[in-house]
Amino acid sequence: MQVPEEYGGLGLSNTLYARMGEIVGLDGSIAVTLAAHQAIGLKGIILAGSKEQKAKYLPRLASGEHIAAFCLTEPSSGSDAASIKTRATLSEDKKYYILNGSKVWITNGGLANIFTVFAKTQVVDSESSVKDKITAFIVERDFGGVTNGKPEDKLGIRGSNTCEVHFENTRVPVENVLGEVGGGFKVAMNILNSGRFSMGSVVAGMLKKLIEMTAEYACTRKQFNKNLSEFGLIQEKFALMAQKAYVMESMAYLTAGMLDRPGFPDCSIEAAMVKVFSSECAWQCVSEALQILGGSGYMRDYPYERMLRDTRILLIFEGTNEILRMYIALTGLQHAGRILTARINELKRGNVSTVIETISQKLRDSVGRTVNMGLTGKLGAVHPSVADSASKLEENVYYFGRTVETLLLRFGKTIVEEQMILKRVANILINLYGMTAVLSRASRSIRVGLPNHDHEVLLANIFCAEAYYQNLFTLSQLDKYSPENLDEQIKKVSEQVLEKRAYICAHPLERTS
Amino acid sequence: MSWAQAILLARGLSRGCGVICGATVTGPPFSQVSLQAPRGLHCSAATHSSDSWLVPPPPKPPRGPTRALAPHEELFRQAPDGAQDKANFVRAVQTFGQHNVHKRGHVDFIYLALRKMREYGVERDLAVYNLLLDVFPKEVFRPRSIFQRIFIHYPRQQECGIAVLEQMENHGVMPNKETEFLLIQIFGRKSYPMLKFVRMKLWFSRFKNINPFPLPRDLPQDPVDLAKLGLRHMEPDLSARVTIYQMPSAKDSTGAADATESHIVGIQTPDQQAALAHHNPARPIFVEGPFSLWLRDKCVYYHILRADLLPPEEREAEEIPEEWNLYYPMQLDLDYGRSGWDDYKFDIHKVEEGPVFAICVAGAHDQATLARWIQGLQETNPGLAQIPVVFRLAGSTGELLATSSGLEEPPPPPPEGQEEEENNQQRQQQGQS
Repeated sequence: MQVPEEYGGLGLSNTLYARMGEIVGLDGSIAVTLAAHQAIGLKGIILAGSKEQKAKYLPRLASGEHIAAFCLTEPSSGSDAASIKTRATLSEDKKYYILNGSKVWITNGGLANIFTVFAKTQVVDSESSVKDKITAFIVERDFGGVTNGKPEDKLGIRGSNTCEVHFENTRVPVENVLGEVGGGFKVAMNILNSGRFSMGSVVAGMLKKLIEMTAEYACTRKQFNKNLSEFGLIQEKFALMAQKAYVMESMAYLTAGMLDRPGFPDCSIEAAMVKVFSSECAWQCVSEALQILGGSGYMRDYPYERMLRDTRILLIFEGTNEILRMYIALTGLQHAGRILTARINELKRGNVSTVIETISQKLRDSVGRTVNMGLTGKLGAVHPSVADSASKLEENVYYFGRTVETLLLRFGKTIVEEQMILKRVANILINLYGMTAVLSRASRSIRVGLPNHDHEVLLANIFCAEAYYQNLFTLSQLDKYSPENLDEQIKKVSEQVLEKRAYICAHPLERTS
Repeated sequence: MSWAQAILLARGLSRGCGVICGATVTGPPFSQVSLQAPRGLHCSAATHSSDSWLVPPPPKPPRGPTRALAPHEELFRQAPDGAQDKANFVRAVQTFGQHNVHKRGHVDFIYLALRKMREYGVERDLAVYNLLLDVFPKEVFRPRSIFQRIFIHYPRQQECGIAVLEQMENHGVMPNKETEFLLIQIFGRKSYPMLKFVRMKLWFSRFKNINPFPLPRDLPQDPVDLAKLGLRHMEPDLSARVTIYQMPSAKDSTGAADATESHIVGIQTPDQQAALAHHNPARPIFVEGPFSLWLRDKCVYYHILRADLLPPEEREAEEIPEEWNLYYPMQLDLDYGRSGWDDYKFDIHKVEEGPVFAICVAGAHDQATLARWIQGLQETNPGLAQIPVVFRLAGSTGELLATSSGLEEPPPPPPEGQEEEENNQQRQQQGQS
């Protein structure tokens, strides 16, 4: 769908692509097959391919005659690029690369004709040292030597074809190198970072359908002479689903809109945030919907258990949520760190005025200050009916900024190792982004006059309030000596458990005498 | 029984302990009184020949003489074939009871039996201790009036009871209900042995699991199993592999002094293997030992294969490949590092030692056995062939292992401290040529 029109594709912009995703997302397997084909399979050719490569491959890929697959994962390397074992060696006549290796868990592996394969090649540096670097290749099945194993037996998305792909002495012409030799790492990162944002709208579409089906059931089933929909806990679940769907949509389309701006804006953090939020909320909401149905939700006659199984993979593929949280936090901290370097250097040198400034700021913060960043008020950006939420957002952002400064001062470069802290930073960031998206969408819908805008305002306010309090708690956990910070204890427990590789407590029924 | 009989019985018994009751009528020599009294009270005088009278009684009281043999030692010498095990011990204790209805000299006997327990190997057996407590006559030492309760009633017996319980404590034996019942019967509820028993019951149950590195109660007798246990004890990493490089071979009954092989058991974790593979062949590695490891009451000697720490100049900084993680940056591009308040790396109590690559327990402590170990290690660590190995064996530590197999070769008389020898490469070449 995103293939440019000159090569026979639809040439959709990101926003339209997200909109299409909403419809496709109603079935998990179809969505995954399509995504594997276009969001990662042929994205490489679009992003990094030369004109000849695009002209050669894209038309047939766009029409669906050939299917594409993305081959990166190997048995010994999931996120670790340095441990890729597939090798591509240049043949003597320098016209071919001989590819040897195997890749595992490749979606569309059995159906695809065109593979984007990442392998290690020897590259001579500018200092004439020989190193192994990753290169991206476009490999057709006709090159020979491409075999695939049997389709894997998965928990969910059983409609899509996932299998191992083996390459034995596959001859790849030199023209099929994507990008430059040795530049495969950047290509892989670009491909992976660009396909993520659509997950938000895909999940949102699925959730909307889910709300319809479940509400149908809840309003017709009667227990204790009342409809299920009159019970508070059920109502809570519906509110949760509606709220999450709203936030997801807002975030996804905000990101898509940002990506559609002229130039090549780098929205990889936002896309990662959308992916993390939407995958976790999908799992939660589908679980709750199944719960509403009770026993019948558990039966295979209803689609809920299939949706549950399909949504489980969302947390894992396209970058596991844990890894993406690290990415969000680290990229943000890198950016912040650069800005702060100057200030920190001054502090370390003991520049008196900076020190006094910092101390006075901390004092004022501890006393409690009102933060005004221009969102609320007469010339404010948001509509007054969401002004409260906006002030909450401002406050969170301000305190988050101060905390980030403290963290960088405390850890500096070594913050890469403190994964529990990074996870909390990422959680706060996701919440903040969600709040932003939601507030802007709600203000727009009031001002423009969309139907049901007061419902949107309600959803926005609920989400912002919850996110605000969660953020406050997370911020307090990031302090070093706060009682909510349980990092030390957690590390100790895990150390003891992992040393014995078992649960070490004595059984409650054990006696000593 | 009646009061008079109780007094007589008590007198008779206390005479056996050396507490002479002053109310004897005639004050005759010992033997006659003791011969008469039981005949008066009980009719079973037939087997009265107490074993202590086998030896002609000296004119002095039996406790006095300086001869080494204790009064009832013959009981313990009577075992046929000298098989010292529980059955014989029990038999000896029961014999005392049979031949000596009034259990004369029971305190001495119990002390003697406590000393002999170790030889018979029953020091951990609760049933035997209960049997020993059974030797005490019941209901006699219980205090009956308040005056008896104030002063320690029958102090020698109570001390003896406490001694039995103390030996139980030393060997880690937990008393049970039978012991409690026996003690109540013998000494009464408010006596010192009973107090000790109550304390034992409370504290032992609390201290049972106090050892953070618990050992099984019965250690294996087989030296190879003992070695494996010791090695696993030292290396808590669960991915470590224990390899038996050499099993102990049986001794030749013809007496031909062939090299009887002692056992060699080694342990190595995958991390140690990787570290050894990375070791620079220009630096030597050392086989050091033997160090002693005590497992309850058995001592196991082990050797380690280690290298010295690299001086700071030669330490390679860990190279972080530039393009490592596809998803997030493994290295932040910032100028400043951790602040001092959060730096936990430097611990004043931890001294950095060089890496240890493997540990082994061998039956013999000489270079030949250890060289055999190194050869065995080379199968899993091919890089070891290139690295020079220096043997730094300390002298004999003076403790000889009571192994059931293999010759206990006394280590060659060392120059004081360390012998440095052998280039392993040369050795290999010699072995191959």
